[in-house]
Amino acid sequence: MDQYQVKRILKSTATHAFLLSVALTCLFPIFWMVRSALMTNETVFIDKSLIPASLQFGNFYTAWLEGNFGVYFLNSVLYTTAVVIGIVLISSLAAYSFSRLQFPGKNIFFYMFVAAMMIPLPGSFVPLYVLMNNLHLVNTRFGYILCMINVGLSLSILLLKTFFDKMPQDLENAARIDGCSKLGLWWHVALPLARPAIAVIVIFNSLNVWNEYILATLLLNDKSLMPLQRGLMVFQGAHSVDYPLLMAGLTIAAAPILLVYLFMQKHIIKGLSSGAVITLDKRTKYF
Amino acid sequence: MKRFFSLILCLLVLAGCGQVKKDPNSIVVWHWMTDRQKAFDKLALKYQEQTGIKVQFELYAPSDVYSQKVVAAAQARVLPDIFGILDKKSIMASFVQAGFVADLTEEFQKDNSVWENSIFPKALAVNRFEEGNIQKVKPGIYGVPIDVTNVQMLYNKKLLQKAGINNPPKTFNEFLEAAQALKRVGVPVLVSGWGEHWLVDCFASNYAFNIMGEEKIMATYRGEVPYTDPDWVKVLQIFAVLRDKGALAEGIVAKPNKYAEQDFALERVAFAFNGSWCVNVYHDMNPKLEYGVMLPPATDAQFPLKIWGGAGSSFMVNNTSQVKDKAVAFLKWITAKEQQVFLSEETKNLPANREALSSLPAILSEFAGAMDNTTHPKVWPINETPLVSEAFDKGIQSIIIGEKTPQDVAQEVQQVKEYGFKKAKRVTTQ
Repeated sequence: MDQYQVKRILKSTATHAFLLSVALTCLFPIFWMVRSALMTNETVFIDKSLIPASLQFGNFYTAWLEGNFGVYFLNSVLYTTAVVIGIVLISSLAAYSFSRLQFPGKNIFFYMFVAAMMIPLPGSFVPLYVLMNNLHLVNTRFGYILCMINVGLSLSILLLKTFFDKMPQDLENAARIDGCSKLGLWWHVALPLARPAIAVIVIFNSLNVWNEYILATLLLNDKSLMPLQRGLMVFQGAHSVDYPLLMAGLTIAAAPILLVYLFMQKHIIKGLSSGAVITLDKRTKYF
Repeated sequence: MKRFFSLILCLLVLAGCGQVKKDPNSIVVWHWMTDRQKAFDKLALKYQEQTGIKVQFELYAPSDVYSQKVVAAAQARVLPDIFGILDKKSIMASFVQAGFVADLTEEFQKDNSVWENSIFPKALAVNRFEEGNIQKVKPGIYGVPIDVTNVQMLYNKKLLQKAGINNPPKTFNEFLEAAQALKRVGVPVLVSGWGEHWLVDCFASNYAFNIMGEEKIMATYRGEVPYTDPDWVKVLQIFAVLRDKGALAEGIVAKPNKYAEQDFALERVAFAFNGSWCVNVYHDMNPKLEYGVMLPPATDAQFPLKIWGGAGSSFMVNNTSQVKDKAVAFLKWITAKEQQVFLSEETKNLPANREALSSLPAILSEFAGAMDNTTHPKVWPINETPLVSEAFDKGIQSIIIGEKTPQDVAQEVQQVKEYGFKKAKRVTTQ
């Protein structure tokens, strides 16, 4: 074996060892969550083994029933779907307008949207609650969905505007010659090309909505309207926590979002790594 | 395309329409106590069977989110019929002054104060504004305690026996002797969540009452006695002695109370300094744990040692509620003996009703037995400023880790106190 081969093997081993340690750091908490979900309240603090001696699969069933996950799960699916669709539609329309249209106060409006990202959510709780109450939207699904769309808009508009700014205008000109309207250009040309950026927006906002609880607690009173995170609260007392059931609940709550990530990871990586820049190759592929 | 968007908008607007009408035979209660929801629901069902009035307990946890919801609802004028205020007494005062909280004094004093007499006075004190209070609230009782708490010391019976200790120590010197015996058999002595400042403050306050009495403590807060006074140095010295005798568990100054509770529940430490809520926590972690409750061992100083305690959770009645009378009637019912015993058995918290004590499990009885010996910053006429308290608590932590002496800390705290006074004086002269 020559020195180059040795160097290559050493380099590769070091790289793989580093990547493996990073992967382990990410995966270990998930493993620990599932492991703790399979223990009892008595053994969770005592048993330090990686795989518990007695596996309590019944914890998942108990957590589902006690946390009333059936209703909350459906609510979360509804909120996540509605909010993500809302954000994608509104932010892409807004971003496309900011990128392509000329209208008075365009920059001021854009900076206002961007500035909205700087306001921490708890800072806006009281005015938001008063506003929603005046609109009779407190304790309604619609009110919560509107608020959550509002939360996700700023970042999504910023991401998509950057994307549309870099997108060459030739395609739109060609479509315009074919008789496409402004709305048609957005729907038929801009949106399909923005798929990687939209994938990033979808996963970021799905995660955000799926894990959201504070705004839901503020705006919703009716238990039947609450999202999945409300179910997890059942296992956390002010002073005591039922760890196995909480971990089982967390596993149930995390599973769908993991699936969404796995399903969309190709687009997400593309969206993030390419900086969402359009290339001529893509245009060729599109036509 | 336009049709599609219009349809979606119409559906969304329709989904948002409609408000729930207020039922005159229903009471809505907002609370934050996750571990009491099941018991509350059972009581609500019982109350409905007895009176036909539906009580809806709505849970919003954790407590900080709950507090934000209450503040937002107050501003929007949509508070429920019954709610709790978790913030400081000054915040409660602002709620009262804004007209959100009903004055319950008359109700408490009806029929020769039968309701008032049934509740622990220390628990009521937290919800009472005295004549001449600094918040300038009309004197009266504005809240109903549903349970009480206090902070004491706990001992592990098995570990004490292992060290040959038959009875828990009563005096500070006996405690130090017990610490030596435990060390000989390799058992760590005392654990507490002293990573949280309020618990350090609580322990120090116990001994401050013991060493110098309430009057001198309040005089210190008013700036009439310096922290460099020998009595305050003695209070700080307690921590130095505990450190020197090896009576503190390793890492105690960095420990959150949750971890300290684990240590005691899993029988790793012989003594713990913790609140009465720990009965619930220890039961969840280790139902077989054999332990007892004791007052922190007093020094031979002349004043009685006082522990922190008072109302655990309290409810207020919305002054603008359409069912105010029904809400008050329900609170009277839930604080009656039978319901208090039920709540106590189900949730393992101490009842606010004194008559319920006789029917409690032994460990809760032991905790409740010290209620007459309690005090709390919320009922003191004056409190120390946050800056000075922080300097004091951090100073104690420095003593425990051997960084500073009690004299150094006393001087530093006094400097912070004087700086605060000078600053306040500058502001008033400007």
